[in-house]
Amino acid sequence: MSQGSMILKLISLPISIILFCLGIMTILGGHITPGGGFQGGAMIASGIILSVLVYGVGNSPLELSHLYIEVLESVGALGFIVFGLIGLFVGGFFLYNVGTDLLNVVPQAIQSALHYPDVTNAGIIPYLNIFVGLKVFVGLSSIVIAFAGFKKFVEEGE
Amino acid sequence: MLSLGPIIFGLILGLIIGSRIRLNVNDTHFTLGAFIIILIAGIIVAWQAGNYPFYTDLPISTAFLSALIGIFVGKLIFARSK
Repeated sequence: MSQGSMILKLISLPISIILFCLGIMTILGGHITPGGGFQGGAMIASGIILSVLVYGVGNSPLELSHLYIEVLESVGALGFIVFGLIGLFVGGFFLYNVGTDLLNVVPQAIQSALHYPDVTNAGIIPYLNIFVGLKVFVGLSSIVIAFAGFKKFVEEGE
Repeated sequence: MLSLGPIIFGLILGLIIGSRIRLNVNDTHFTLGAFIIILIAGIIVAWQAGNYPFYTDLPISTAFLSALIGIFVGKLIFARSK
């Protein structure tokens, strides 16, 4: 599976790290700019995919374990559902944007942690983006890791 | 006012991803100097990105920079040898 070129092996990990940072930046700006959880998660997954393709699935410096994928996928799905149910019970609709101060107990500094200089209020959208980003990142990565693992399994069987 | 949200969540997401970097599994050797070069390149990218995604507090992308720092810290703290 590994391509074996030394130039590819030298440049892939730094590019993967830069891709992770770009993906995280896209996730955290999803409520302001084009982008969001899915796009940012796909960018992070592209870093993992690049590493798996270049180094090989058993030899990659960015190897995701089964437990890691399982936990992040569950946390992403659970967070999304929890935010949706809060909107359902408070606002009457699933994923209703209830804002960040539901019971008037959250301090102003924490409320405005992801605000930006604009008159609109993003509310729960940035947090939804983070959960969706986690889910998409591990989902797309696990698909490619599984395909690479199947190919390695077939090659070893022949 | 400095927006703490992108810094905190960038660090958390960076820690989550950086905890999976393991360097002793392949035949390519990344030394401390390689990571310093990656850090400098990342700072240049963050500087050129400006204040994207428009948290207009600093002339540098705080989300990008905190994610980079989070990846390095996660690698140092959580990444174990295979």
